[in-house]
Amino acid sequence: MARSKLLSLWQLSKTAAAPGAGTRRFATSIPRWNEAKTAQPGKETANGNDKGGEKNENEDKKKGGFGQSILANTAILVFGALIGTSWASFNLCKEPPEFLFPHTSTLPLASTLSPLYGDSKLVIEELKGFLKEDQVSEAKDDINNHSDSFFSTDHPTPDEHPDAVVYPETTEQVSQIMQAAHKHHVPIVPFTGGTSLEGHYITTRRGICLDMSRMNKIVALHKEDLDIVVQPGVGWEDLRDYLQPLGLIFGPDPGPGAAIGGMCGTSCSGTNAARYGTMRENVVSLTVVLADGTVVKTRRRPRKTAAGYNLTNLFVGSEGTLGVVTEATLKLNVLPKFENVAVVSFPSMSDAADAVAKVVQSGVQFNAMELLDAQMMKFVNESGSVTKNYDEKPTLMFKLGGNSIKVADSITNDIKDICNECHCGKKNFRFASSDEEKEELWTARKVALWSTIDAGREVYGEDAQVWTTDVAVPISKLVQSLVDTRKILDDEKMMSSIVSHAGDGNYHTFIVYPKKDHDRVRQVVQHMVTRALELDGTVTGEHGVGIGKREYLREELGDVGVNVMRKIKFALDPLLILNPDKVIQVDPEEKKK
Amino acid sequence: MFLVRRRAPSSLRALSGGFKRCVSQQQGDEKQHSNDAKYLSTQTPIFKIFAISSAFLSLGFALGFVLADKKDSTSSTTKLKDLKPLVYASKDRVSYALSKIAKIVGDEKITVMDSELKLHSQDPSKFIQAKTGEKPYAVVYPTTIEEVSKVVKVCYDACIPVIPYSGGTSIEGHYIPTRKGISIDVSRMDKILDIHKDDLDVIVQPGVEWSYLNEELEPYGLMFGPDPAPGALIGGILGTNASGTNAVRYGAAKDNILSLKVVLADGTVIKTRQRPRKSSNGYNLTNLFVGSEGTLGIIVEATLKLHVKPQNEVITMMNFKEIGDASRAVTELFKNGISCNAVEFMDNRQMTAVVEMGTGGEHKWSSDHLLLLKLSAVDDSALNSILSRVEDVGKNNNAFNIQVAKDKEEMEDIWRVRKTLLWNSLGWAKKFKPNAMVLPTDVCVPMSRLPELITKTMEKMEKADLLATAAGHAGDGNVHVLVIFEPEQVAEAHRIINEMSTMAIELDGTVSGEHGIGVSEKRELLEKELGTDTIDLMRTIKFALDKKAIFNPDHIFKIDPSEKRHPFDDQ
Repeated sequence: MARSKLLSLWQLSKTAAAPGAGTRRFATSIPRWNEAKTAQPGKETANGNDKGGEKNENEDKKKGGFGQSILANTAILVFGALIGTSWASFNLCKEPPEFLFPHTSTLPLASTLSPLYGDSKLVIEELKGFLKEDQVSEAKDDINNHSDSFFSTDHPTPDEHPDAVVYPETTEQVSQIMQAAHKHHVPIVPFTGGTSLEGHYITTRRGICLDMSRMNKIVALHKEDLDIVVQPGVGWEDLRDYLQPLGLIFGPDPGPGAAIGGMCGTSCSGTNAARYGTMRENVVSLTVVLADGTVVKTRRRPRKTAAGYNLTNLFVGSEGTLGVVTEATLKLNVLPKFENVAVVSFPSMSDAADAVAKVVQSGVQFNAMELLDAQMMKFVNESGSVTKNYDEKPTLMFKLGGNSIKVADSITNDIKDICNECHCGKKNFRFASSDEEKEELWTARKVALWSTIDAGREVYGEDAQVWTTDVAVPISKLVQSLVDTRKILDDEKMMSSIVSHAGDGNYHTFIVYPKKDHDRVRQVVQHMVTRALELDGTVTGEHGVGIGKREYLREELGDVGVNVMRKIKFALDPLLILNPDKVIQVDPEEKKK
Repeated sequence: MFLVRRRAPSSLRALSGGFKRCVSQQQGDEKQHSNDAKYLSTQTPIFKIFAISSAFLSLGFALGFVLADKKDSTSSTTKLKDLKPLVYASKDRVSYALSKIAKIVGDEKITVMDSELKLHSQDPSKFIQAKTGEKPYAVVYPTTIEEVSKVVKVCYDACIPVIPYSGGTSIEGHYIPTRKGISIDVSRMDKILDIHKDDLDVIVQPGVEWSYLNEELEPYGLMFGPDPAPGALIGGILGTNASGTNAVRYGAAKDNILSLKVVLADGTVIKTRQRPRKSSNGYNLTNLFVGSEGTLGIIVEATLKLHVKPQNEVITMMNFKEIGDASRAVTELFKNGISCNAVEFMDNRQMTAVVEMGTGGEHKWSSDHLLLLKLSAVDDSALNSILSRVEDVGKNNNAFNIQVAKDKEEMEDIWRVRKTLLWNSLGWAKKFKPNAMVLPTDVCVPMSRLPELITKTMEKMEKADLLATAAGHAGDGNVHVLVIFEPEQVAEAHRIINEMSTMAIELDGTVSGEHGIGVSEKRELLEKELGTDTIDLMRTIKFALDKKAIFNPDHIFKIDPSEKRHPFDDQ
């Protein structure tokens, strides 16, 4: 807080010290005073007689002498006082006293100032000096590709697009770019896959988009240690294809197209999270370029450590607001040798959710457990991405496996028992018969969002918008939360589908709506969010906050929690050049859309 | 800011007021002669003075601002050399603050008794010595979050260091009050607040002991992952990001925590999350506080992730002649996708100690390298298939004496040997060297580098004529080499331990796998491990959240350029 206040002081002193303010006024005042003094005798002579004039002159001398000595004394006094004052103010600024600038651990929005940004052109010019020609692009296509996506919940205003897109190729280049941006106070928005849903890469303050897609190399694979060092532009699907033949797997599996950099940014997860954890459990170490261009490595690559602050996990989930990830060491897991994919349909949502809770509570180790509601199954069938027709009922999809057939089978039996208990019916528990079907089923789950959008476009045409929610609640509250949500959506007659990473109580609602319904959808979502928070849940399980969920973040953690985050943001990035306006509001005067 | 503006000129205004009076006297005389004189004197000179003074004022402000923190005002890291020496409260202020604290918590929850002060300044093992004078002013035992918050606020206002304390089992001097201060002992906040058996989580206060927690969870068939040394309390476990034998399966403390309530330096209480299993809502504050060793805040409540206690658990033991074989066996197990609940390694010297001390219970131990595995499966047939795989892997890697313990009591006996290893070695050492001193270590390297580390370290120890045993959590690559030496060999022992840590860094590892940094020699090693810039970044975070550096000062990294504390030099 002290720093931001100092900034404001600095601005104040800048205006005060500017040649227009003090000095000029001072300069103009002198001639006027002189003019008046010289005019005085002239007036006197014009008006009064000679005698009077002499008398006056005498008196003038007398009083003037007296006045001069006082003036001289006071002048010294005043001068001394002025020096004293400037000394005092000097010290005041050098070491702001605590009663004026309390050293609090939080930073409320009200005590910040609106950030000021510089001209991107200066940075772009500077970058052209040390980057290759094709690394800096101001082409319209590039700029449009880095401003928005059709599936995002939030869209930029026409004015919110980057001034240039820069493609760095090494960590050093990223550092140089950050130094230049830092020098000129120009915002930098990191970008990798561009698959985020909450407007994470909207350039609200223009500036420069830092596309990391050219840093897409696998740096080192340590098979013995089960870790891998990669650059941020590596797509998780490419990584999966690279690791599969080696019998290894990297846990998180978010939406198709996502790359490591963005995955670290949003702390994403996916269908495997219940088994292998989210990004924050799977990142061993990060190389990060900070706002001023400093390059830090948060760790080497031990499997566990208790040495110092956990910076790795501070950057994972910071959505590019604290630093730019340029290299990541990831934990790997061994691919299960035998895996069954089971599809189980239930008569009702509450039965399905009940089965979920029971499976989790039993401690049986499943590799993935996904829940799709009846509506979703309908969209899947309609999408044409599956060859079989599935029951349009609430459905659980399992990945069950182990290192031997026996292990896989006994796990499967346990799950079967639980599902039977929850009225699934023996007939409705079936396995994917072939590897193709396994693949197909899982792909169908992966493209759920797109199938929903496609279904929406059939109804609303190109006007169709999608709103994705991302709520997670404790397992025992999942039943209630899902049933409530479905009811709200049905009551409002919204076209929607629900999919859930049931193993960790996380579910998404995809609502498709025509543009004009925006406010109505917002209300419905707000209602769902409030319900989730009441159930001790979170408003975003894996998509992140971006620009769309900042208000929900405040609702979840309260002002104090957000104020602590803001304190950290301002400490690491005092000029607020890294992805401004995301995760937390940093500008008290920010215009509401 | 506005206060400054108003305040500073007010003295000036008084001054100029005086001046105005002088001038107006003069004016009074002049008035008789000229009406215009009024215009001249009341307006212009005052205006002039104001202009001059504001110019001076702004000059002062500008200079002050420019010279103040030009170096770091916009940078993301805080360098040690740019900082000023820390100054804390004087004795008078402390005694005033103490009286205030006594009023807040009541007399029975604050003590200045010498024995308590001693207990709260260093652990009985004395691995890291507290220096003379490094004792807290008082120990406070709050029982509610509100009390902690209020006490911290008082200390914050008075600028008194605050040292959080829970179990006191840390061995890196985590609670040595290097600047005196007030020790906040949370051990009376020892309630389990809420067990959510259906959600597999539990809300506890920081004073709960982990083994007590596990006993309470037993009826529900649940358990808490980390299993550090006996006596450790949740607050300290989270503070040091401790782990234990279960880490290979359930992860360290950081992986087993859903949410925290923390009291910050200015007394603010924050909750970092609600309790869903996962969340990407904003910055991960939870994991920032876990492992911060009390330098960022005091943990006053924690929501912990629980696991379903494994059924059908057995222990497999196998002996090896070579460390390399043992390590290769572990790697092969992992590659086969066999998930172990614990993978523990004890080297031949350690086993010799066990055999010679006869502390191993009824089991017959061999004095070769030993690998202990905890395995479990959903049912017997699955378990048997796993066991046969494990045996194959062992045989492939020259293991012998492969045994499986299925009986519960037998298993407990075996595990006790692992858990009491430190005391066992100590007793063993005393047999040869009655004056023997020991030093534990805690390095962690990628698994494939472990044999190299152990072999090289042991060679060095032998060369230096030091006795050493090695035991570790092989599944994580975490090894504790226990160095046993005569008092006069102390310098030598430290030299070799430092060489070992440096070696761990070179092998891409860390200087602390689970014990933390504290005020030990590892502070310097940590800088070597992570680089100065990374430490500077930690310092930025420290000062952002705790500007006055009242929380556990000097721990993990230096925050005072003038501080020269060396853990082993006397004074």
